[in-house]
Amino acid sequence: MKINFPHRQFAHCESGVTANLLNYHGFPCSEALVFGIGAGLFFGYVPFIKINKMPLTTYRIGPGGIFKKATRRLGIEIRKQKFSSPAAAEKELDRLLASGHPVGAQTGVFWLPFFPPAYRFHFNGHNLVIIGKENDEYLISDPIFEEPVRCSTIDLRKARFAKGALAPKGKIYYIEKMPQQFDLPGAVKAGINDVCRVMLKTPVPLAGVRGIRLLARQLAKWPGKLGEEQTILHLGHVIRMQEEIGTGGGGFRFIYAAFLQEAAEILKNEKLLELSSNCTHIGDLWRDFALLASRVCRGRAAVQDSFDELASLLRQCAVEEEKLFKNLHGAISC
Amino acid sequence: MSDNLELELAKLIIDFCHVEDVAAEDVPVDAPLIGPDSPFELDSLDAVEVVVAVQKTYGVRIGGEKTSREVLRSLKMLAAFISQERA
Repeated sequence: MKINFPHRQFAHCESGVTANLLNYHGFPCSEALVFGIGAGLFFGYVPFIKINKMPLTTYRIGPGGIFKKATRRLGIEIRKQKFSSPAAAEKELDRLLASGHPVGAQTGVFWLPFFPPAYRFHFNGHNLVIIGKENDEYLISDPIFEEPVRCSTIDLRKARFAKGALAPKGKIYYIEKMPQQFDLPGAVKAGINDVCRVMLKTPVPLAGVRGIRLLARQLAKWPGKLGEEQTILHLGHVIRMQEEIGTGGGGFRFIYAAFLQEAAEILKNEKLLELSSNCTHIGDLWRDFALLASRVCRGRAAVQDSFDELASLLRQCAVEEEKLFKNLHGAISC
Repeated sequence: MSDNLELELAKLIIDFCHVEDVAAEDVPVDAPLIGPDSPFELDSLDAVEVVVAVQKTYGVRIGGEKTSREVLRSLKMLAAFISQERA
């Protein structure tokens, strides 16, 4: 059985899955729009939580957040399920597919054989849509691939029940009911307000603009504290989280700039066009940081001087982001 | 290699990423730019260097929904992206 599901390739898995599911259910939208309504943009640096032995550094909200917030703000009814038994998880998945539901799933990348070996690392927050089953293979719309892919039942079971941080526990989600009407301007405003709040007013110093400043302070101390090898590994991890993992570059700031452009039209608010351009400029600043960091990792830049400069670039990002989100909040409040 | 832009890009990558022992003229236009099969032997850290070099040289930003993963698949893809963005 195969659902006639329009597959589109996107930069990031969860916003791509959400956009593809919404399009299938009759709400045409871009990845950027879903990312913005779902308030996907974030910054968090949590040195005491380790992912692959590296401090948690993230430029987006946690797995599942974009789908949950975007659908809630658009008034869409969804269903989510987790399982303790792989057999029960598979049975429910097959039942949903047989009843014509494309099903979103959280998986561990390492166990997905259609990923090239170089990209198969231990990350359990990868999202995809299961759109059918033929013999012993599931048909999958994975938004980071150009075309739909296939995955054996055994491999998908391993990916859905991968162990470790962010273990998916067989998590699936799907759309149960679309509303008759959407309050798109309301959803866009709510998404923007949410991002402004988490970036400016999170009480813990690990998140938002304060989190960027914390990373700047800690990173400047890495060469003396961690030694050369660990310093390079830590820095490489920060760049990868920023420029890879489907961020669209600049730690999702370019995707968010595209969202603000769409928001300007939806809300008939030209100020948002100017702020979109500021957001792109911030993405470029993050990229300057990544460029210098990659040169340090490659041994093409002097370590101590570079770390002072890297910390300074991060502080500059924090200053610009603080300005952007204050202006953004003001622009949609008036 | 027939296309001038593709050749120019191969030279740019060799220069910015300090690639040694590779002649721009010898790089197949369809070969992957990043990863274990890259004739330049570039990895994801080098990808940042390539993206910034392209932006500074051609004024074209690789980002947003059109990702570097997609655009940096080969010299041919990268050249097509730059031509399209500049058109």
